[in-house]
Amino acid sequence: MIELKNIEKYYSNKGVKNYVLRHVSTTIKKGEFVSIMGPSGAGKSTLLNILGMLEEPTYGTYEFLGEDVTTLNERKRIELYRNHIGFVFQAYHLIDEMTVYENIEAPLLYKKIGGSERTSRIANLLDRFNIVAKKDLFPNQLSGGQQQLVGIARALAAQPSVILADEPTGNLQSAQAEEIMQLFQKLNQEDGITIIQVTHSEKNATYGNRILHIADGVIKDDVQLTGAKAI
Amino acid sequence: MFKLNLKIAWRNLWKNKVYAAINIGGLALGLTAFVLMLLYINHEESYDSWTPDLENVFQIREKHDFFTPDNKEHWQEATDSRMASLVRENIPQAVAVTKVDQDWEWSAGYSVKVDGADPILVKQIKDADSSFFSVFNYQFLHGSAEAALSTPKSIVVKESIALKLFGTDKVLGKTVKLLIWRSDPGQMFTITGVVKEPKTPQSVSFNAIIRTGEQDHDPENISNRHFCQVYAKMNGPMDSTALNKTLQSVYVNFKKAAFAKEKRNYKDIYKNGNTPGLSALKISDVHANPTLKLSWKDKLKPIVGISIFLLLVSVINFVNLATAQSVQRAKEVGVKKILGSYKGQLLTQFLLESAMQSMVSLFLCVVLVEMVLPAFNQNFNVSLSFWYNPQLFIMIVQLLTLFVLVTLLAGFYPSWILSNYNPVSVLKGNYENGLKGIALRNILVVFQFVISVTFIIAIGVMYQQTKYVSNKDLGFEKGNLVNIKSNYEEKFAERLRTVPGVKYIATSTQVMGNVFNTPEVITYKENKIPVNSVTVTMDALQALGVQVMQGRLFSKDYKQDTANSVVINASAAKLIDKNPVGKTYDLLRDDRKYTFQIVGVIKDYHNEGFDKAVMPTIYKVTHLGGMSTTNNMLVRLDAANSGEIIKKIEAEWRFLYPDYPMTYTSMNDAFDKILEDNNRFVNMIVLFSLVSVSLSLLGLFALSTFVAKRRTREIAVRKVLGASNIQIVNLLNKSFLILVVVANLISWPIAYILIKKWLDGFAYRIDMPVIPFLLATLVSIVIAVLTVSIQARKAAVTDPVNALKYE
Repeated sequence: MIELKNIEKYYSNKGVKNYVLRHVSTTIKKGEFVSIMGPSGAGKSTLLNILGMLEEPTYGTYEFLGEDVTTLNERKRIELYRNHIGFVFQAYHLIDEMTVYENIEAPLLYKKIGGSERTSRIANLLDRFNIVAKKDLFPNQLSGGQQQLVGIARALAAQPSVILADEPTGNLQSAQAEEIMQLFQKLNQEDGITIIQVTHSEKNATYGNRILHIADGVIKDDVQLTGAKAI
Repeated sequence: MFKLNLKIAWRNLWKNKVYAAINIGGLALGLTAFVLMLLYINHEESYDSWTPDLENVFQIREKHDFFTPDNKEHWQEATDSRMASLVRENIPQAVAVTKVDQDWEWSAGYSVKVDGADPILVKQIKDADSSFFSVFNYQFLHGSAEAALSTPKSIVVKESIALKLFGTDKVLGKTVKLLIWRSDPGQMFTITGVVKEPKTPQSVSFNAIIRTGEQDHDPENISNRHFCQVYAKMNGPMDSTALNKTLQSVYVNFKKAAFAKEKRNYKDIYKNGNTPGLSALKISDVHANPTLKLSWKDKLKPIVGISIFLLLVSVINFVNLATAQSVQRAKEVGVKKILGSYKGQLLTQFLLESAMQSMVSLFLCVVLVEMVLPAFNQNFNVSLSFWYNPQLFIMIVQLLTLFVLVTLLAGFYPSWILSNYNPVSVLKGNYENGLKGIALRNILVVFQFVISVTFIIAIGVMYQQTKYVSNKDLGFEKGNLVNIKSNYEEKFAERLRTVPGVKYIATSTQVMGNVFNTPEVITYKENKIPVNSVTVTMDALQALGVQVMQGRLFSKDYKQDTANSVVINASAAKLIDKNPVGKTYDLLRDDRKYTFQIVGVIKDYHNEGFDKAVMPTIYKVTHLGGMSTTNNMLVRLDAANSGEIIKKIEAEWRFLYPDYPMTYTSMNDAFDKILEDNNRFVNMIVLFSLVSVSLSLLGLFALSTFVAKRRTREIAVRKVLGASNIQIVNLLNKSFLILVVVANLISWPIAYILIKKWLDGFAYRIDMPVIPFLLATLVSIVIAVLTVSIQARKAAVTDPVNALKYE
């Protein structure tokens, strides 16, 4: 589903190239749950941004669903966001002026999904994440874990094929973090959603079935986890 | 989506209530000034548009030097009555030509007497010939256009006058008695028509049209002229350039023939730069191009400029605040972009938000306009209305256009900035973009302050000039002096002299509020000197209380005073001789030479506004060499209980002239009237300045809040490093202070040029003062520092831990 060939990313500063990523080539198949790990400044987030088409690589090719998306015009990229990619952030990034319900509804509105279908999908998600009672609250009235649940619900609303998560539990306490990771695993295993997450935590990485270790912009290790954690 | 965006917009406004209020309120203020002006312009533009028929109606204008205040040739609405037949005979397209009385602004009007009722004065009763209603297609409620003026001694009244006189509009066939002045025996007129007031104002306005018969013929003697206004209706649309060309050549031929009959040389008359001229002006253009005075467009120009500036200031506030605020919305933009929103969708969303705000401003503005209209109407002597405006539809279209314009002007830039945010950097918490607009915002703040400082300087100078003018020695005593609108009549004067408290009864052709100048060219020691000549009675100069500089005033003790003595004013003395008393000069009139002796010199006294210099003038009692009279009867009263005395004078008047009410003005009122226009302008500048300055301050206040907020982390770091609160306040102040100082430097020359221009409009003015400039700078800096400090202090005293905790 995702194929990276020889991805490089560098910033030029007064003629000096500062490499963030070098020779990154990998394939991620549909249904995988990949964790990208590595020390600070290794290039994890940049890689995720490139996967999410938020940044363009300086060199190399990126194929998404068999289509070359290395350079894409805005309109096409937005189409992909609407239909195939869901983002989850460390800082949740819910829109403060919108209620829980409205936050989840927003991507559906962009996707132009009809009113009744929208209502049922949102109801479904609220129900599934146990946040029905919170639907009319604003983000700042929720705890961090609850906010992240809403963030994930929002990412799922458009029924994407892949979820890109940048340290989804970085701001959470461990109990809440565990809850979120279990949710991810469930989504991956039961709904077959491809998940790619950036994480610092070894423990979080064990919820997935593959780990990419990155250091200094290079993939050092590509580990397949066989014995996935039982749910 | 739309509904959700609307909700978000509302929640955002609510979250930033104070700034939203500043934004919307400021914009509403700016809009109000603009809409008021728009109303006024619409009103002025609507003149003579009440019937499509007027497309083909032209006013005939002649170039001559009669009635002009400066005794020079001007295009005038009052033309020789012969122009009517000239047009009728030489322009085949003219289907109807009418002659009608000109507006006599100083006239008290006709006294109208209906049987058994007290006489009332009605202004704007105009004498016309029988074709008036063939040219002007008024709607007759009773009677008909064809028959109305077919016989002399008929009168056609407007509906309102019929109601005022009789209480009903069914007045056909009734008679009224009209008196044009107090000793007029009066004439009886029969009402032959009642016309409806047209929807829009008219430049040939009237309360009633009468046909006395005077307008039916031209004077028999070719050297006599009767002045009136001439209007011609053409059989269809006509090109005025071609028409004017024909008129000009017809006129030149006519003049040549006329001068030949008078045995005068055509070339002699037009030798000193004067040229003959006759032209036609579409009636729809008449109101915008008055003769001998400023047109409303010229009068309005500074106000148009000011109100556009005000609107700009408020729009700038809007732009500044919205861009500053955009940082708050950055996350929303970033998130929406990755959720799949197009840039265009975001742009629309933010434009809709500004549209929402400007819509609210517009509603507020309509409310404000309704509230201030009465005061506005009073100040500008108009009767405008918003909801009952005949052009309400046009007005609404204009408002909608204004709404779209303001929304785009105010909303486009911030929306553009917002929708361009890069989601990656924004979601990382990097608001570099928020700083991008800072240069533009600074420019806008400078621009606002340039306007405000210019206003403050203008107020200062205007205040000084106004003070100078109102305290200026007029050269005569304006207190306890009244001017009765009446010709001087010895019989009446004699009776008044017996009233205790009346010191002088006199007349002069030159009294503030009603001046009639007669140009003369005198010969003194072979030099030809153009002067202005004024006819007075023996004690007129004493009654006015003028100041004698040399020689004496007229007196009954000198027999020659009624023969050939004159008194001159200082300006005339400058032209004639330094020590003119006792000297003589000659006046040539109708091939005869008259000799006059100068017996005194008086100080120049003002009889017109301070925009006009006092003319070199010769005062004479004698009829020698021609004289004139006007409706002035000066009464100098004893200082004590002048009200009582005036009542007694009125009683005397009623005894002599029961059919004509007495009207008078005090010289104090006449003087106030002269200052009125200027004071009105100054008041408006003061008002506008207040609005502009407060708008700029609001903008600065809000902007400094945002800057302080955005620099929270910097401030915290500095505090941790050991900066004191004062140092932090100074830090924030400095960045704004530079802007204000730059604004001051820019506004000085601008203010200087504009105010110089305004001062130049006065013949008597102060020198350009320096103090207002310094004061304006000081004031602007002090209030800017105060405004910023309030916010800066808040930022300075916050605990740095809070600011540094995040990230």
